[in-house]
Amino acid sequence: MLPIVFLILVPLAAALLLALVRDERFRSVVVIAAAVALMFAAGYLATTGLFSPTQFFKVNAEAINYILLVMDLICCGYIVYRGVRHKHSLSVFLAGVQAALLVLFELVVAQDVHTISDIYVDQLSLIMALIIAFIGGGICIYALGYMRDAQSHQKRHVLSHIHGGDPARVAEAAVLGTDRRHLFFAIMFVFLAAMFMIIFSNNLGWLLAGWELTTVCSFILIGYTRTDEATANSFKAVSINLAGGLAFCTALILLASGENPILELDKLIVAGAGGSVVLPIALLAFAGLTKAAQMPFQSWLLGAMVAPTPVSALLHSSTMVKAGVFLLIKLAPTFGWGINGVFVVLVGALTFLYCSAVAISQSNAKRVLAYSTVANLGLIACLAGVGTPEAVWAAIFILIFHAAAKALLFCCVGTAEHRLHSRDIEDMDNLFVRMPRLAMLMALGMIAMFIIPFGMLVSKWAALVSVVDSGHFELLIVLGFGSAMTFVFWAKWLGKVLAIASNQSSLEQSIHKSERFGLGFLAVLLVVTSALLPLISAYVVVPYLSGITQLLPSGYTGVWADVSPQLSMDNLLIMAIVLIALVAVLAIRLPRLAKQGNDSVYLSGVGQDSDERSFTNAFSQTSLASQRNWYMEQIFGEKVLEFRSNLLASVVLGAFLVLALIVEANVL
Amino acid sequence: MTILLFVIALFGFGIGALFLGGLLAGVDRIITARLQGRVGPPLLQPFYDVGKLLAKEDRWLNGFESFYIFLALIIVILSGAFFFSGGNLLMVVFLIGLASLLFIVAAYCTRSPFAEIGAQREIIQVMSYEPMIILMAVFYYSASGSFDVAATVGLDLPLLTQIPLIFIGLLFVLTTKLRKSPFDLSFSHHAHQELVKGVTTEMSGKTLALVEIMHWYESVLFLGYVALFFVWGSLWAVLVALVAVALVYFLEIIIDNSFARVKWQAMLSWSWLVTLLVVSVSVVVAVITNTGLL
Repeated sequence: MLPIVFLILVPLAAALLLALVRDERFRSVVVIAAAVALMFAAGYLATTGLFSPTQFFKVNAEAINYILLVMDLICCGYIVYRGVRHKHSLSVFLAGVQAALLVLFELVVAQDVHTISDIYVDQLSLIMALIIAFIGGGICIYALGYMRDAQSHQKRHVLSHIHGGDPARVAEAAVLGTDRRHLFFAIMFVFLAAMFMIIFSNNLGWLLAGWELTTVCSFILIGYTRTDEATANSFKAVSINLAGGLAFCTALILLASGENPILELDKLIVAGAGGSVVLPIALLAFAGLTKAAQMPFQSWLLGAMVAPTPVSALLHSSTMVKAGVFLLIKLAPTFGWGINGVFVVLVGALTFLYCSAVAISQSNAKRVLAYSTVANLGLIACLAGVGTPEAVWAAIFILIFHAAAKALLFCCVGTAEHRLHSRDIEDMDNLFVRMPRLAMLMALGMIAMFIIPFGMLVSKWAALVSVVDSGHFELLIVLGFGSAMTFVFWAKWLGKVLAIASNQSSLEQSIHKSERFGLGFLAVLLVVTSALLPLISAYVVVPYLSGITQLLPSGYTGVWADVSPQLSMDNLLIMAIVLIALVAVLAIRLPRLAKQGNDSVYLSGVGQDSDERSFTNAFSQTSLASQRNWYMEQIFGEKVLEFRSNLLASVVLGAFLVLALIVEANVL
Repeated sequence: MTILLFVIALFGFGIGALFLGGLLAGVDRIITARLQGRVGPPLLQPFYDVGKLLAKEDRWLNGFESFYIFLALIIVILSGAFFFSGGNLLMVVFLIGLASLLFIVAAYCTRSPFAEIGAQREIIQVMSYEPMIILMAVFYYSASGSFDVAATVGLDLPLLTQIPLIFIGLLFVLTTKLRKSPFDLSFSHHAHQELVKGVTTEMSGKTLALVEIMHWYESVLFLGYVALFFVWGSLWAVLVALVAVALVYFLEIIIDNSFARVKWQAMLSWSWLVTLLVVSVSVVVAVITNTGLL
């Protein structure tokens, strides 16, 4: 219990310190100390809790409910204030309704409902805790160096504004140029605290408080740069997430006002697995889907990339969207072939297919990463919706490896962007020569997303098996085509990054020490978790799945009655060995391979310079050969696919919520 | 036991498939020549060609392309050994994916505009055949009860009788996998329809020899996929599978010589259409039999 309190309070304390003191050296010390403390606490909690059954704790403090209510109301108040200032009526409205519902829930409906246990620790929440502490902490350290660069870029940008002399622009520049990094880091740590609240709360009211806190944190961080685009996108994000929060709130009110009031997650899962509480679970699933940026809500996460890169890394890997799929995975035993299961499967499958396809047409590296994130979250949602233990096994592993690989990739792209002044994949041509270490880490992140010995593809393999075994044959088609499209957008990006022209000078020296450390740390995490997959499966994930069986009542005979791992240990071990061999060979050989060529590139003319790709053409003039990657926009472009896919997803979403309402009405 | 079996398969495939693959290439060239009214080279010509390539002076742009190709070759041999020792089919399919990626990266790292176009086309080839190949593995699993290739030996009837449509789908994408016209977009043996030399534009000497050898190994492995559909628990299976594989290979040579290369759009849409068609029908059949409607 103590480590949990520590995990929630330490980031909050760090946030307070960071917000109050603006000194840069002090900030570095606090960030590093807090990140390391979180890692130790999560590690300690893991060593004590990872191999033992689920523990529940009762907290005898009614006051916490009121503190959290006040915190929620402050959050809503802040959104209302910003909404009024920027004339964004939708968010004002949503935040207002939210505040009213929260008061109704806490002071009227839930007043007489008492909980038996408020906090719990099981293997899944520990996995999440490790992800948040290690990956989230790593990103915070990385951000120290990144934000120094970002601030100086912004200052230069502002100076160029002031030179224009236009008073309005000077005023605007003054706003944009203020150094608000102390707030940036403070909010990053509040974010981590909110995530810890979500993953350890058995009390649904507390879970909701953490949920709302992540919404507000993402709102502030997305709008951090205060440009018009950032402000607009932050309001888009907050509106969508508030809609999800409203659904969450409504679900809680329904649950607490029912005949057998439920306010605890474990009881909810048991009731849901028994076939009741259909509408509340549909609403919670809706909340999870909005937070996980599933269609038709993917636009908020795509817009979120206007924020500084560490924010994207945090949103995509260890926080925010992961809270959404965490909730869906938690609810998985209640899904399966019921209305809610099919609902989540359809939305997830559609998202996986659409986003994998559209990612092919993107040349902006961050957009490719964003679409790939949404696609993978779709796959996780889909597997949670399938709801068998095997599918959940795959979903948990995809969550783990996606977090590790995406954090690394975002940080790599952020660092590259500051050196190349572009986030376009075409400009990353030859990155392997210009920044060899960075390029290798980026390549590692990419192949970890879609190539076999890495955990991600092993999980997809398990996903395929679970989908067949559960009778979801239609999902086979989704997985087959989705995986093929995934190969395309990664392979062509990887090719560009690993291309070689020897005339480029190295830019690697300009990367800050904290950035280098953060990148290396994330890369090591990625390889180690991949290599440990067989152990994580045997000692953590399978026990978690068996734990759910014990949670369910004795008369239960569904798919969760018997949990057995599906990928044989042999195959997992072979993969681990191939992985270690491959990484070792690449890490040892690649840096030493560079040797001066004794030949030049063939260019259909008299070649002049292989590296420039210049040649003498038929008119004795110099021509440059250039080759861009193919983006196939006429087939996979957003313009071609977006509207129809969003429409389809909206129809599915609406239809199933109505269906759940009808079922609930009949049950009542 | 399984490790011993794997080691035997590794040597067996490593040496056997090298000769078999070379011979297949020789047969291919003779039949192709006859179809075109020529006599054609001797049967062992592919070996002479590779021997000559190996003896050539090394020319390179940077040290990477030969390394990637070498790694790809190792992985193809490994996956062949997994396959023929009765290992997990899906693992073999995914390992071949890794080999294709290394092949693509080898093309990119030269920065030849022609090789890059070849690499783009190779990526699209992977995108066109991969769904069918993955789904073939999954249907193999649902029909035989295991992903292990060894499970075929325990069957009462060959898989072809259970999932004939999947076999047709495999045949369709096999043309791409064997690098036969009309789907040999990334690089081909037909000089008249090639853009310089596609993926292999900047590869010469030993590196090119390795590419050729990798192609032999892959051909044997992919014909192994075909054989999967014709094996069951009887000694006759050996004969039936061999005849079936020979017929399929002959058919591929005929197709190779009868069609001109198509655009990538056509390859992609045809492959996906065929895949979608055969898989959807198979899914409907599977769902019906699963729910006991039939």
